[in-house]
Amino acid sequence: MPRTTSGTRLLFRWIGNGLLLVMLVWTLVPFYWMMATSLKADQEIYGFEATLVPHHPTLAAYVRLFQQTPFMKYVRNSTIIAVSTTAVSLVFGCLGAYALARLRFRGRRLIARGLVFTYLVPPSLLFIPLFAMMSALSLVDTHQGLILAYLGFTVPFCTWLLMGYFRSVPLELEEAALVDGCTRLGALIRVVLPMSLPALAVVAFFSFTQAWNEFLYANVFVNSVEVRTITTGLTLFIVEDVFFWGPMMGAAFLSALPPLVVYLVFQRWVVKGLTLGAVKG
Amino acid sequence: MTKANMTRRQALKTAVAVGLATTGPWWLVRGSHGARAKKLVFWQLPNFTPLADQLQKEQVYEFAKSAGLKESEVEYATVSNEGFAEKLAAALEAGNPPDVARLYESNVQFYAAQGHLLDVTDLVDKMRREPKGIFDSSLTAVRYSGRAYGVPLAVNPWPVHARVDLLEQHKLDYPKTWDEFIETCMKIQSPPRLFGFGMCLGLVEDTTDNVMNLLWCYGGKMVEADNKTVVMNSPENAAGVKVIEAMFRTRKIIPQGAIGWDNSGNNKAYQSRQAAFVMNPTSIYAYLNQSDQDLQKRTGLFPVPAGPKGTVNLIDTWAFGAFKQNPYPELARGLISYFMQPANYDKIIQSTGGRWVPVYKRLFDSPFWKSKPEFKHFVSMAETGVPVSYAGSPTPAAGEVLNTHIIPKMIQRVLVDNWEPPRALEECHRRIDEVYARNRKV
Repeated sequence: MPRTTSGTRLLFRWIGNGLLLVMLVWTLVPFYWMMATSLKADQEIYGFEATLVPHHPTLAAYVRLFQQTPFMKYVRNSTIIAVSTTAVSLVFGCLGAYALARLRFRGRRLIARGLVFTYLVPPSLLFIPLFAMMSALSLVDTHQGLILAYLGFTVPFCTWLLMGYFRSVPLELEEAALVDGCTRLGALIRVVLPMSLPALAVVAFFSFTQAWNEFLYANVFVNSVEVRTITTGLTLFIVEDVFFWGPMMGAAFLSALPPLVVYLVFQRWVVKGLTLGAVKG
Repeated sequence: MTKANMTRRQALKTAVAVGLATTGPWWLVRGSHGARAKKLVFWQLPNFTPLADQLQKEQVYEFAKSAGLKESEVEYATVSNEGFAEKLAAALEAGNPPDVARLYESNVQFYAAQGHLLDVTDLVDKMRREPKGIFDSSLTAVRYSGRAYGVPLAVNPWPVHARVDLLEQHKLDYPKTWDEFIETCMKIQSPPRLFGFGMCLGLVEDTTDNVMNLLWCYGGKMVEADNKTVVMNSPENAAGVKVIEAMFRTRKIIPQGAIGWDNSGNNKAYQSRQAAFVMNPTSIYAYLNQSDQDLQKRTGLFPVPAGPKGTVNLIDTWAFGAFKQNPYPELARGLISYFMQPANYDKIIQSTGGRWVPVYKRLFDSPFWKSKPEFKHFVSMAETGVPVSYAGSPTPAAGEVLNTHIIPKMIQRVLVDNWEPPRALEECHRRIDEVYARNRKV
């Protein structure tokens, strides 16, 4: 019997490892393909046979990217917008979620439900009225305008997600903090937030990737190179019906790295948050 | 149970908050028009050559300076093709469109029909009075209800890009007729590495362009010149469709994958040297000029071969449009006029390396257009070329037919669903007729 159990475990381990390998390949192949294409000459990209490894690797696409296009400005703009959106979403999300989870006031349920509905409205319905408002407020073609627009969908999601998580934090811990002299804000910062790191990491990652990858608002609300983000900058590598694959893939590959880094950073926090074990027995 | 009572102050505060929340957006939108900080806004689509972009930008600022504007009052924006429609839709709704934008053919008709464009007939008339005038073919795209709502900027011919090196290798001349074309393709192709004809057959706009171009040579057309009578279901069109069917099925000079191509499919086929001939705007030639000069040297640009009814060449026209909803219409008109001054215009045209074909006839006298044999046929194409809506005009209805891929669906009925050409044409005719009838009502 013990042998059989051990054999079954081994089988499941192999199946599990096999599945993980498939998922790993599934995830990494697009990255590899972008990188490999960016290192190929145009003749190879358009060659009869698709090559997995560049035959004659060249940095020509990157030279063009950095010397002939304002790619670094796009990176700077995307970073400013994504980081600001993430920071503001976290602050507003935490405060809003705590208020909705813990305080008792009129309209609380309505606001909580409203958050979900706000989040459910597709951006394609909102971009025209939002543009009209941005235009009136002279926020078109500004970093602030785009950040405000992104907060429209990141804050409701962050608030909703954190609200659920805050409710799971035992009230007794907060009450103890209040008895010890903490204010509401103090209890939130000193007790609730440290216990909610996994949720904070998730909403931060969500806000960052949403703001980093967003295309429609960035396309409609921004005109100048000084504010243009990577997503809209990428489309300028399509001229009429011709695609300049080399620099486009190079830019896409480089722009995929920051979300990956952010994820790796927050992933550590997620694990840490999960292992804090604040409440026992 | 206690009843919650509001004080007068609370009630007042609530009323003010509700009032602001409900009417605020309306007031903001209402004021958006006046909130624009810039006096001259120009939207440019990216060009193949950075030099053309740079010259155009310089001309915008030169004009602005001459009009007494500060640099800070001018906005020059490069807008991608991909998001142009959404961006312009939002700007128009907000009452804050650009003053001037570069528009494609169907855009002019579309926005003119909606009443968004300024009447620029006087500017076009001025261009026509230049020595030798402008190509009449370029006017079709900008005229709406007898007036000009766009200023023709460049002619965009659709020549056959041909591998002259392969023709020379097989000691063949460029084919004069479609029958010769098929035979030539059979001789020079070596599938699957090289097919004779990279004809676009996917559910995309280029398929309509490619298919109609061939049907015209067989006497077919989509609609009569009255822009009302749809004539898709005709023996001439059926004859043309049968030729395409033979090219695809029996002669196998078109790759089978062409059924799934997007608008860049034929570009890729030619650029990857997998097709000896393609019908496309000179964007391919411009790409080769920048990225593959070896293939460019092996490439010739020719009119399409003739059918029983002769040769008909497809062209479309790009234009500058000036939008009504802007506070400084004279600046917009002034900018367009400045661009179109022949001396300024010629600089930009030449900087595109042949991608933009001039609308002024006399500019073809320049040595630039005689410098390369590839440009030889451009004058005749610009002179006699027709829009995809031929024999009709590029009306909004024609634009809808193009954008809803009715003709690509027809050709796929034949090539994929195995329908007989008359049956596929009958369905296609009915659908196009519905589009034209609906647009007439509008």
